[in-house]
Amino acid sequence: MIYDFIKALRASNIQISAAETMEAIETLNHVGLFNRQLLKDSLSLVLAKTRDDKETYSNCFDLFFTMATNETTEMAAQDTLDVVPVAESKKSHSDELQNEGSSSLLELLEQSNQTALAENIAIAAQQVQLSNIKIFTQRGIYARRILEQMGVNELERKIHDLARVGEEDAYNYLKLRKAQTLESVLELVDKNLLLYTANSGANLRQEILEKTPLARVEIRDFKTMHELVKKLSKRLISIHSRRRRKAKRGALDVRQTIRKNMQFDGILFNTVWKKVRIDRPKVIAVCDVSGSVAQTARFLLMFLYSVHEIIPKVRSFAFSNQLGEITSLFEKMPIEIALNEAINQWGMGSTDYGGALHELERLVGDEIDSKTTVLILGDGRSNYGDPGHLALKRMHLKSKSVMWLNPEPRTFWNTGDSEMNKFNASCDRIESCRSIRHLERIVSDIARRTV
Amino acid sequence: MKESSNADKAITVLKKSLQEHDYIASQNISTAVYLAQKLSKPILVEGPPGVGKTELAKATALLLNKPMIRLQCYEGLDESKALYEWKYGKQLLYTQVLKEKLSELMSDSESLKRSVEKLNEFDDTFFSTDFLEPRPLLKALWAEKGAVLLIDEIDKSDLEFEAFLLEILQDYQISIPEIGTVKSSVPPVVFLTSNNTREIGDALKRRCLHLYIPFPDSKLEREIVRSRIPNIEETLEKQIVSFVQEIREMDLKKVPAVSETLDWAKALILLNVHSLESNIVRSTLNVLLKFQDDIEHIESEIPTLIRSAAR
Repeated sequence: MIYDFIKALRASNIQISAAETMEAIETLNHVGLFNRQLLKDSLSLVLAKTRDDKETYSNCFDLFFTMATNETTEMAAQDTLDVVPVAESKKSHSDELQNEGSSSLLELLEQSNQTALAENIAIAAQQVQLSNIKIFTQRGIYARRILEQMGVNELERKIHDLARVGEEDAYNYLKLRKAQTLESVLELVDKNLLLYTANSGANLRQEILEKTPLARVEIRDFKTMHELVKKLSKRLISIHSRRRRKAKRGALDVRQTIRKNMQFDGILFNTVWKKVRIDRPKVIAVCDVSGSVAQTARFLLMFLYSVHEIIPKVRSFAFSNQLGEITSLFEKMPIEIALNEAINQWGMGSTDYGGALHELERLVGDEIDSKTTVLILGDGRSNYGDPGHLALKRMHLKSKSVMWLNPEPRTFWNTGDSEMNKFNASCDRIESCRSIRHLERIVSDIARRTV
Repeated sequence: MKESSNADKAITVLKKSLQEHDYIASQNISTAVYLAQKLSKPILVEGPPGVGKTELAKATALLLNKPMIRLQCYEGLDESKALYEWKYGKQLLYTQVLKEKLSELMSDSESLKRSVEKLNEFDDTFFSTDFLEPRPLLKALWAEKGAVLLIDEIDKSDLEFEAFLLEILQDYQISIPEIGTVKSSVPPVVFLTSNNTREIGDALKRRCLHLYIPFPDSKLEREIVRSRIPNIEETLEKQIVSFVQEIREMDLKKVPAVSETLDWAKALILLNVHSLESNIVRSTLNVLLKFQDDIEHIESEIPTLIRSAAR
């Protein structure tokens, strides 16, 4: 049973290793199965190892064990004498079942023994490995398999016989009972489906979304997208939030070495090597929110918002025909409001790259230094106006690097009014950034690229 | 069946005795401590700052009557500070002092080879446990009656250090090249705490029980306040706790933790306050909230909060 539970947990995205499974079993030996709260607490200590996991775990536990105990309560309600613990009774019944062969369903229905029936369903479910169920459409197949396992064929033959002979009452009775059994089997299958596949559908959807070009993502998926971006930024934060020091191998820090070894009478025991402190990058981000990129603007901004969460020193600007700073907007507002505000305030004009880049240079030109990365999100289409590449070039000379992320695929660059060639000369890196996957790679790169 | 009722009882007893040592534990926490002892596994305690992660280790040490050894983690913490170090100074001093003795010993050996052989006989003296300075981890392994080892804020340490801990946490042993493997006779009870400033590695998580301590609910928090500040008036205590609970629901930079509730309660008692009033709350808010932004944010809502707290 514990294996099934772990399988259910894994299906809802909690990672559990084989070693942890063994620990769970050992834990069971210590706490036993009979105090539910205790069991829940102790298994949660062993199996769910992050805060999110704990929540999922709790839901999963409740679902799984209501299912397991449903059988017991039914059993207890039906025949009060039966106080044998579940595990044991199950075992004995499965032995019985094997002895009796497949005639049991018919007999059970004739005896109308609810308890034994529920149990037999559970056992049959185990035998056909119901926990392997993957998708919704398998529901019918599994239900049928369970029924067959319980000997439905014989029952059907009997019903058929009865119909031929003409015993109306018995026929109707058995038919009704069969329908009831089917109902309860289906119910069990549904619960299992919920338990073991809760997430696989959502996972599939997310996986597809990660690869979909931003422009094609529909509004209804906005929420899922937001979750994805959030997950992404969380992951990146945990990787990059700490400033790291890197040992410069081979270079002796003479000053530190002497200082450290003063306690040994100046005899140099311990050597200290020079280290390079990796600074957090300073980023100035500019996002095109004009009509030409209207489709992707939201997602680019969303991405920018997550950059804000990861890298502390970011200044963000948005522009279409005018350029304005949106840093404080991003820092104070929740994401939905910030995005709408940014687009309402600065978006929906026609693009003016020349004006925007000159304005940017005027605003932050003095701030750009050798630690600054300038990040531009846009399609580089300037409506045949001045692309402002000279301003970009001047900023490029002062900055550490200039990156350009273009939501268009490479083959569209330099067609029509796209000026990517001109910008190319003053960028260190140009990437086509079309899906969440791309975003992740690029942000991680910015955060890491420091030396 | 027998086991489970045993476990039940043991946990209830544990909870009670933790309470005697001024630590109000939830069911979950006491289960964790119980299992950690049974499975002899370390506990990784996570939770927001100030919910009593470190206190839990202290209370457990008192309860088990074992010494508590604390290792505070920080960036750049390495073996020599966490595990052991050779007493170089002492080694040097001894060689100086024993110089003459040595030359005396050496004087009768004719060949160089002979003297090297002779020196070899003394070789190990200088790398024995006498010249070893034990740091927290080694101390915990050496402790004869076992110990409670608290590795505080593991998330502040480097990734390398985390990897280095794995051997100790799994087998309770450590290898010192010059001496060999040191294995503890009585495995220490180990607590690791983390504030979640970074994700802890899976390898480490796998070896630990994972306990998440959230902010307590109002019932538990009231118990905590009562046990820590026994002379507090009931009305005040109730108001304080519900006030703090309300604040925690709000959107703040840093929500007040249990320790701040306690500090605030103590401050109010010192000021001889019997029930919450706007102007007093306003002037003592800085005990509870640590950011000016938060204080300004709350200030306008103080009367509403007090009204609902008084209910």
